[in-house]
Amino acid sequence: MVNGDLIWGVLGLPLVGAILLGLLGPTLQKSIGKRGVGAISTVVVFVAFILGLLINSQLVGATQKAWVVTGPDWIAIMGLRIPFESVIDPLSMTMVLIVTGIGALIHLYSTGYMAEERDYSRFFAYLNLFIVAMLVLVLGNSLPLLFIGWEGVGLCSYLLIGFWYQDRANVKAANKAFIVNRIGDWSLMMGMFLIAVLMVQNASKFPDTRIFSFDNVIPVLGEILKGNPGMATAIALLLFGGAAGKSAQFPLYVWLPDAMAGPTPVSALIHAATMVTSGVVLLNRFNVVFQYSPTASAIVCVVGAFTALFAALIAFGQTDIKKVLAYSTVSQLGFMFIGVGAGGYWTGMFHVTTHAFFKALLFLGSGAVIHAMAHDQDMRNYGQLRKYLPITFATMAIGWISIIAIIPGLGGAGSKEEVIGYALANNHAQINGVPLGQIAGWTALGVAFLTAMYMTRMFFLTFLGNKERWRDIATSHSHETDDHHHALDNLHQPHEVPFSMSIPLVVLALLSVAGGYLMMQGNTFEHWIQTNQIEVLGELKHEVPNLLAYSLIAAWAGLAVAGATYIKGLPASEGFDLAKWSPFRKAAGNQFGFDAAVDTLFNEGGDGLAVALNEGDHLVVDGAVNGSASGAAILGSFVGRIQTGFIRLYALFMLIGGVGIVGWFIYVLNSGGIK
Amino acid sequence: MYGVPLAAYLALGLFMFTTGVVGVIIRRNPIVIFMCVELMLNAVNLTFLAFARYQFAPPVAISAENGHITGQAVMGGQAMVVFVMAVAAAEVAVGLGIIMAIFRLRKEIDIDDMNLLKG
Repeated sequence: MVNGDLIWGVLGLPLVGAILLGLLGPTLQKSIGKRGVGAISTVVVFVAFILGLLINSQLVGATQKAWVVTGPDWIAIMGLRIPFESVIDPLSMTMVLIVTGIGALIHLYSTGYMAEERDYSRFFAYLNLFIVAMLVLVLGNSLPLLFIGWEGVGLCSYLLIGFWYQDRANVKAANKAFIVNRIGDWSLMMGMFLIAVLMVQNASKFPDTRIFSFDNVIPVLGEILKGNPGMATAIALLLFGGAAGKSAQFPLYVWLPDAMAGPTPVSALIHAATMVTSGVVLLNRFNVVFQYSPTASAIVCVVGAFTALFAALIAFGQTDIKKVLAYSTVSQLGFMFIGVGAGGYWTGMFHVTTHAFFKALLFLGSGAVIHAMAHDQDMRNYGQLRKYLPITFATMAIGWISIIAIIPGLGGAGSKEEVIGYALANNHAQINGVPLGQIAGWTALGVAFLTAMYMTRMFFLTFLGNKERWRDIATSHSHETDDHHHALDNLHQPHEVPFSMSIPLVVLALLSVAGGYLMMQGNTFEHWIQTNQIEVLGELKHEVPNLLAYSLIAAWAGLAVAGATYIKGLPASEGFDLAKWSPFRKAAGNQFGFDAAVDTLFNEGGDGLAVALNEGDHLVVDGAVNGSASGAAILGSFVGRIQTGFIRLYALFMLIGGVGIVGWFIYVLNSGGIK
Repeated sequence: MYGVPLAAYLALGLFMFTTGVVGVIIRRNPIVIFMCVELMLNAVNLTFLAFARYQFAPPVAISAENGHITGQAVMGGQAMVVFVMAVAAAEVAVGLGIIMAIFRLRKEIDIDDMNLLKG
């Protein structure tokens, strides 16, 4: 078990990269060039991946599958010790391999994609920092450490969305992501506090004072929640609130589509493959809470199903290739939550893994397309790109097949089927006997049909069709000035991407094909993830007769419908003339008004609240202050009349007073003195 | 020495004090008011001295020959008078200073015009 210490290498290498590039970036960029900077950044993540593989191979062979590697103490006070410690178990190592493996590929891709960027080293410093934060999030063995990682990835997400900070829209998107995540983080913190209170109350049940460490918390939490379903539901819902923020579930999904303002590799790494899945990781880590709360599980299922459906519908109205992929990500995240809510915790992680492969592939492919098309992201200007971008076309075709799941066992087909199987087959997720899990399962099957449709739309509009639609754009003047960053116009010749960008595409394509298939063999992934969990529910039923047939029919039907529509190219009803759009597509194009409604509610509602509070302040607080002042003034104007300014009158009063006092004394003395 | 009875002193003191009080209240010239205040102070002084003259520390004896009271004299009244005179002197110094200042400022010193503290 000595080699568990290698985990510090996994965490430390990207940290070194981040600090090195963060502090010395511009200097290094001058001395060793952009290639050197990119190489440092990529190599540290790649070596971290190799170390992760070494640890993982040992974990596979070990009988005890939950190791804790303890470092120095972070907080040590009486009765509480929080060391820096990592948990090494199948859940965390799966994520470590995804984060470092796909991370390394995306770093490599970025060296090509960002090659013309002036702030090259800053980008890679952020990217390395993100890897560190994400690793802390999945490896941290206690609530506070998890929270550091949780906020760290949020920070890096913010920094990278706003990477091109000179454009106001990007800054606004970054702010939106950060602010919406605050809502989720509030919920997560409340859940953590609730757990912390329970742990402190039951401190006597722990073998040592590490009362926030997962290896101690999870068993004790299970013991406490066994007799307290209300508490389980409360904790579960608060944790899910946090997960919904980070993993873009309705209604907190609004930040993710806007996050596409960041560079495309960032969208692939952070907003598709890793960070947005941390909600699923969190729910897996605390699955014992959800096992004790069917109510919360049902809510997770319903929210996941609604998000999957809603985002899939919105995707139909999008013309920006990255927006389609963004809504597809939101929708697929919904699938993961359906699986988790239905009690198939491992299916959530399974879909995280396959999704990480094919969605990173799709995003990187879209990046290649955007790169080739002079940074124009509008699919209406694409068409027939297969002729110009053969590698991108082939790899993205694999990504497309993986996500729409038309071939059994390939890509996301297996994981999607497992998710739907758990949702349809068992009754864990229910409220008062209403089988909400099953409703979610049927919804998911419908969304699988929609997924096939909108992804086919994206794929056909981009690579197939009958003509090269950018040829219709008028020639721009930038060609005359020999500017490299010219706008897209009819003279544009798309060029295939460099090797640094195509290698990650090919590797991810292979992983997409093979990954899902291999992990299904002999239920490898199921046994892998489930080795280390407290079994409350036992083995849940997840076999549904004819499920494979249903899934395939849904996928092929979607493919057929969309294929028939888009095989000839862009229909006139979806062109640049918005007046010709169908009402549904127009509504989908602006998120059915949801984003605008949220905007209105919180902007104008916030303004209204502020105005009302301001009025209240004037009325109540200022009223009290000014009222007491004017009350005193009114009283004073009455009492002040005694002060006539007539000095001789004062003297008379003094005389009367003196006489009165003396008279009173005489009276008292005569009547027998003071008793 | 005891030819003048105590009541005569007290009657004179009362007269002087009343004159002073009435003067303070009805006159408008601060100088006159001051003089009236002095009158009141001196009335009090007179009363103090008169009582002091007729007061003895016990044991007190009354002479069988002429009815005079004899005994150890107490000097408290006289001491009070010295204090009062000292205070009166200080008060005159301050008071006249104030009156002079007001006169320089306003060229007239009618007490009824000094009503800046009117409410």
